[in-house]
Amino acid sequence: MKNQTITMAHGAGGRQTSELIDQIFKAHFSNPDLTADDAAVLVPPAGKMAVSTDGFIVSPAFFPGGNIGKLSICGTVNDLACMGAKPLYLTCAFVIEEGFSMEKLEDIAAAMEKTAKEAGVRIVSGDTKVAGKGQVDGIFITTTGMGEIEEGVQTSGDLAKPGDAIIVTGDVGRHGCTILLAREEFGIEAEITSDCAPLWGTVKAMMDQTHDIHVIRDATRGGVGTVLYEIAEQSNVGIRLDAAAVPVDPAVKGVCGMLGLEPLYLACEGRLVIMAPKEVAPKIVEVLKKGPYSQNAAIIGEVTEEQPGRVVMTTEIGTQALLPQPGGELLPRIC
Amino acid sequence: MCVGLSAKVVKIGEGVAIIDAGGAKREVSSQLIEDLEPGDYVMVHAGVAIAKITDEDESETDQLMEELL
Amino acid sequence: MSKTAKEIIETYDGPPVRIMEVCGTHTHENFRLGIRKLLPGQVELISGPGCPVCVTPVGFIDEAVYLALEKGVTICTFGDLVRVPGTKMSLAGARAKGAKIQVVYSPTDAEKYAKENPQEQVVFLSVGFETTTPASCLSVKQAREDELTNYSILTANKTMPKAYEALKGSADVFLYPGHVNAITGTELCESLTKEGVSGVVAGFTAKELLTAMAVALAKYQEGKPFFVNAYPRVVTKEGSLPAQKLVGELMEPCDSEWRGLGVIPESGLKLREAWQEYDARWKYQMPKIEGKPNPACRCGDVLQGKCKPCDCKVFGKGCTPLHPIGACMVSNEGACSAYFQYGKE
Repeated sequence: MKNQTITMAHGAGGRQTSELIDQIFKAHFSNPDLTADDAAVLVPPAGKMAVSTDGFIVSPAFFPGGNIGKLSICGTVNDLACMGAKPLYLTCAFVIEEGFSMEKLEDIAAAMEKTAKEAGVRIVSGDTKVAGKGQVDGIFITTTGMGEIEEGVQTSGDLAKPGDAIIVTGDVGRHGCTILLAREEFGIEAEITSDCAPLWGTVKAMMDQTHDIHVIRDATRGGVGTVLYEIAEQSNVGIRLDAAAVPVDPAVKGVCGMLGLEPLYLACEGRLVIMAPKEVAPKIVEVLKKGPYSQNAAIIGEVTEEQPGRVVMTTEIGTQALLPQPGGELLPRIC
Repeated sequence: MCVGLSAKVVKIGEGVAIIDAGGAKREVSSQLIEDLEPGDYVMVHAGVAIAKITDEDESETDQLMEELL
Repeated sequence: MSKTAKEIIETYDGPPVRIMEVCGTHTHENFRLGIRKLLPGQVELISGPGCPVCVTPVGFIDEAVYLALEKGVTICTFGDLVRVPGTKMSLAGARAKGAKIQVVYSPTDAEKYAKENPQEQVVFLSVGFETTTPASCLSVKQAREDELTNYSILTANKTMPKAYEALKGSADVFLYPGHVNAITGTELCESLTKEGVSGVVAGFTAKELLTAMAVALAKYQEGKPFFVNAYPRVVTKEGSLPAQKLVGELMEPCDSEWRGLGVIPESGLKLREAWQEYDARWKYQMPKIEGKPNPACRCGDVLQGKCKPCDCKVFGKGCTPLHPIGACMVSNEGACSAYFQYGKE
């Protein structure tokens, strides 16, 4: 497979398409529910079901801490987990650029296999299309996931209540920072790896401890800051954030200092924002600290009645200041 | 008007220096500062070290407050 | 035990005073740190013109868009400028029409980009005050050393001294921009006390800003014009001699248009004739482009401290950080953006 590339023939539906499917996708995704038929035939879960779909484009497709394959599983699995749903099934659709390296495609499929296995989810259906050179940037993946919501669990962005503590499951902004550096546009080097991780296990550990959790959100695009503003609006509550309590890796802080960026607005791919009654929060943090992807979990603020729809920060000099609202494109600045 | 970053010089090259801020490293121009050495702290703006500095604002502000009162 | 800087600010009971944050980064940090909330009612903070993005006139963006779309050059720019509206479109708009817009951290990276992409013509948008101009000059010098013929800069560099003249009287105390003073030194600011202009050079950490404010308020009560360098760990009396020499070698003063303030004689810098092959206006025989700002926008008045952002009719309505009409809403340190983001106080 070395030095081979994807050609238009791989997407034409003929012999080469079958070869690609056999050699790469079947080899990695094989499970009893994945058949050669037109659709997967599944037994629906007994309880309520959660469904989520997400498209993944990331440049570069390979970055420290993961690749687009791992990301495409984590993203959808984490969306399900945020609803308290155990991920069961996943479908995936690939759009691959003509000339894409077969070896890289294999690496991506292998990462998907490994991550799906860890998350306990089966890939039950897939599709592959090849687009002409320049029509897509390398590879795009879309995944759709189905999960079973644990009984007695109800989480939603509109359920935050005054008195809730706000927990973040680890240091913020790592994925966004990793991608920024991996593009090599700004000449900055730092040992930062993406936080990309499947988080069903993390959610499950919390749920086993308590069902008294109001909101779980994964802080992907737009970062923790954007998620907080979304929830403040959806739940019509105010949010008070303790700036000093937000965990940030020193190198992420350094990169942000150079480029004039705010870590709270950089993407994460393995971080949850949780809102739960103050009384149970310490217990949740204790459980989180034992998990593989949430050792740096911390309480970073609380939900209040004041200034609904706004996020107010307690600053380093003890004053209160609004967290600026999330803006458009993240652009490094000199002023 | 100008975002500045204080950072530590870790390496010196020809007209350039590698600076480190919390583990984030970048090459910057050192042409505006004579006799820069590894271990020095500099203020960096737009990829140029613009001044050699001390890295802490504590004694600076303490002294000012003392003079003031 | 003596009072802390924070206490001095909170308990100030002297006469009313208007303090101008000359530098936009100070505006931004004062909001971010909630320092404005500490101020008693008789202390007013005014945002000044010290934001290179905000004072850059519409015509400059139009020139850049012209180069990108009509001349097919690759524009390298600081991220700040990408969304600033021009007469017809911003650089982001030009990018959507196929222009190549490359965001860089440093002018030296723009020069490097030109070197690595000899098939492209590259123009760096050289905005900024005394702090940023040396970086542009270094890139031009490097381009000559590398014998590049595909690199030039579009200058809109500005200098502060004439602006201070123009702003005299619009505030009682200036918070001087620490990083500009790091290059220029403090002599000019010191001599302004003779004309009755008071000011404090301020740094950018929470401690430094609080201290500078406390010094300003304490000194103001004494009733005499004053100057204090409250950022001595970075700013010296003579400033950066190598930077001054470098800029003097490559550039010379010129009249320059400031958004809101109009053309201020000798308040800008352009490349000297000996370096004109790196001057994008000369190289591309730039036609005269008159930028037309949106008539509803009051950025100009805001920049002169004549009105608060919230006094502008389009503030927060037609003009928001996501859909800015004026430059002060685009830049992170623009007064309008800061007022919008942190709340109107």
